[in-house]
Amino acid sequence: MKYAIALLSAGLALSGCSQGVPGEATDAQRGDGTDTIELAEFPDRPYWGDTHLHTDVSVDAFGFGVRLGPEVALRFARGEEVTATTGMSAKLDRPLDFLVISDHSDAMGATRRLYDAPRMMVRDPTLRRWRDMMHESPEQSTRAVAELITAAANGEIPEALRDPERNAAATRELWDRHLDLLDRYNEPGTFTAFAGFEWTLMPGGNNLHRVVMFRDGSGRTGEVLPYPGIDGEVTGLWDYMDAYEESTGGKVLAIPHNSNLSNGMMFELTGPDGGAMSADYARRRAAHEPVVEATQIKGDSETHPFLSPNDEFAGFGVAGWELGNLPLTEKTTPDMFAGSYIRSALLRGLTLEQQLGVNPYAFGMIGSTDSHTALATGDEDNFFGKHTGAEPRQDRAMEEQNLGTREGRFGWHYLAGGYAAAWARGNTRAEIFDAFMRREVYATTGPRMVLRLFAGHDFAEGDWDGDWVRAGYTRGVPMGGELEDTGRAPTFLISALKDPDGANLDRVQVVKGWVDASGTAREKVYDVAWSAREMDGASDSPVPPVGDTVDRAKATYENSIGAAELRATWTDPDYKRGERAFYYVRVLEIPTPSWVLYDALRFGLKLPANVIEANVIQERAYSSPVWLRPRMAPGDGPPIMDEG
Amino acid sequence: MIRQALRDPLAHFLIAGAALWGVLALAGDPVDPADRTITLSREQQAALSLQFERTMRRAPTDAELDAQIEQWIREEVLYREAMRLGLDEGDPVLRRRLATKMDELAGAEVELARPTENQLREWYRANGGAYETGEVVDFEQVYFPTEEAAIAALTQDSPKGEPISLPRKVAKQDGEYVERLFGSQFAEGLLQLEASPEWQGPVPSGYGWHLVRLTRREKGLVPPFGDVRERVERDWRSRTIETRRQQAFQLLRDAYRVEIE
Repeated sequence: MKYAIALLSAGLALSGCSQGVPGEATDAQRGDGTDTIELAEFPDRPYWGDTHLHTDVSVDAFGFGVRLGPEVALRFARGEEVTATTGMSAKLDRPLDFLVISDHSDAMGATRRLYDAPRMMVRDPTLRRWRDMMHESPEQSTRAVAELITAAANGEIPEALRDPERNAAATRELWDRHLDLLDRYNEPGTFTAFAGFEWTLMPGGNNLHRVVMFRDGSGRTGEVLPYPGIDGEVTGLWDYMDAYEESTGGKVLAIPHNSNLSNGMMFELTGPDGGAMSADYARRRAAHEPVVEATQIKGDSETHPFLSPNDEFAGFGVAGWELGNLPLTEKTTPDMFAGSYIRSALLRGLTLEQQLGVNPYAFGMIGSTDSHTALATGDEDNFFGKHTGAEPRQDRAMEEQNLGTREGRFGWHYLAGGYAAAWARGNTRAEIFDAFMRREVYATTGPRMVLRLFAGHDFAEGDWDGDWVRAGYTRGVPMGGELEDTGRAPTFLISALKDPDGANLDRVQVVKGWVDASGTAREKVYDVAWSAREMDGASDSPVPPVGDTVDRAKATYENSIGAAELRATWTDPDYKRGERAFYYVRVLEIPTPSWVLYDALRFGLKLPANVIEANVIQERAYSSPVWLRPRMAPGDGPPIMDEG
Repeated sequence: MIRQALRDPLAHFLIAGAALWGVLALAGDPVDPADRTITLSREQQAALSLQFERTMRRAPTDAELDAQIEQWIREEVLYREAMRLGLDEGDPVLRRRLATKMDELAGAEVELARPTENQLREWYRANGGAYETGEVVDFEQVYFPTEEAAIAALTQDSPKGEPISLPRKVAKQDGEYVERLFGSQFAEGLLQLEASPEWQGPVPSGYGWHLVRLTRREKGLVPPFGDVRERVERDWRSRTIETRRQQAFQLLRDAYRVEIE
């Protein structure tokens, strides 16, 4: 009998190998979506998506307990009801328009294989112990993965798990089947399924992770395998991306994330070897990484109060995460913050551009979830947790986290996750990917506000009376664009419309960063529109708080304060000719309860007062910046700069 | 009739099982403890090399290929020894893994199968309701921040409303589109109105109040087969896989008498 099993399993393994053959998606579904649907003249609405979702294919997600794969993830993102791993039914309040499943490329599917492997076949003592822990209980399984992440951070992953050649066969089969599945769920005009993976570079536990996202269908993406990376270098990833584009004619981009857990390494002023940054490095970085993830479950990376002491709304989603790197093997010191947060990175980009002639950090912003449950949930009242161990249950808010245990990170420090909005002319792979490339995208912490930003030189209040979107596109540049410095102060058309099923808006702000004549990088936050309220005095600034309607015990709020839409025609009052600058918009909602207060209501928790107050939050959106660039002289001469 | 039966995935499953049985009966033990020859064919070597190449985007060096082969041999030796020792017996993971593979085998044929047009049409006839689109509407709307202002404007022939960044006119869209732009409250309110050339409302939304001129309301349509063919095929496939697995299991299950003591 035992030999029968052997032969049977060998035969089945063979039949399994052939399942990746694509057979049923149409040509339209298999490609990048070009010429499949009618496109709007200008991007006419934001398409909502999550570019950062893990399923049971990810080493850590599986270990944390998720048993849902990519197909369930796609069905869920499209709005279907599914059953979460822990047994609850789960459904999005509103479907998403696109999804990037970004399972870790390192040891893709390996924990599932480790879990499934016969015990005696697992020779490495560490792997065998992890395997046993995964089988013992969900708690032990979570602990095993925390050990795995720490080991990865410390470069101590057992050889058997990291060797790319040994994983290649398994990855090939997994990847081919995955690409086929994505094509089948990719429906131009309705729902876009992108191929991608997460590249998990983590020197010393400092998070330098990127999500890699492809524009193309399986015809091209099937030519390569996900690129492994725990101990690589980022230039190696770019080489891989270049090789893909050259050999297939396709397109691919990378999205850095969780810079807040990089201990200053994500946005360094130096090159990766510690020496001066080269222009070539800067150019490659800008070309491969046009967008970064500003907000997600593991905290928000916009800015830290240490860096932005005059910004009263700085520090959203910073608590807990600011303490150290990802596994908390190294604590964070304040000198590291500038390399970890986005606003300071945008400033560093301006400074580096002056020195190198190219800006390595001229990126747009998106939000995403980084959920490890296969469920792309971003709403506070529907939060399925960072990983399966944190799916809804009584203790999740006050528990210590799997990472940084006993160091001061608790369940309630998790944010409910963000979403990415892309201004596109239609819902296809090509249209949405291209919106990312031109940075016409924005981040939200979950709510679906509609945010428009145009920059130009001749916008006026009267533009709002006509077709102002057309005016914006024809007489200016949208978010993500570059505006030439003509010697006149730039003017902006800004519109923020609330989430129709969410909270009203408190205010709209412009965040400006620039390098002044002395070469000093500076930042300033301007309130440019706000809802009606009692003003303190003659001055508009500072605008007083909007108020607070949150009932802490019932987890409710009232839209009796705030506004449905805020608009501004704003001209930079501090403009100086020749100064490089960026401008991005931050939109704040009125205070609302976070997922922790919904949990408290549902499970009857008694939370400490400081935890309750920390979980009355003002959710927000961040636009991608517009850059003001020195005017180029006729021909290809150097930029014209004001003297002195 | 027989041809159709042969195309049936369940038949494939049974034939595959029977063939396996035949091979076992003829060949006896496939891994003979006395046979200590491991053959690594040229094709298998090429496969190892190709695997390496597809990951690393370059061909392996001779040393790297040797290492691959060595690794493969090591696994094969240990695997055969393990089978000889019967280490697979009583292993709950292996037991479950093989059960899963049996399930996958039952579904595998369906994963690859190209359903005929008739099969899909039949499925579509039986399940067409699932593809029905929402009601299609044409309407105009104007926005007011307060209910009083909206009611006051209802008496005007062409009410103006306050500016808001929402489309003034919407044509040929369904409820889902309306809900995405205007929110669920408005979508529900709108679909309670009858089509009419007159201004109606106010309809509340997350933004405030809207007067609406709903000029068209058309019942949802079941889209023609051609328009939803891919969805039909995808749904047919996932449902059929499930059914096949269940049928295949039932067939095997019926051959057992289970006694629970």
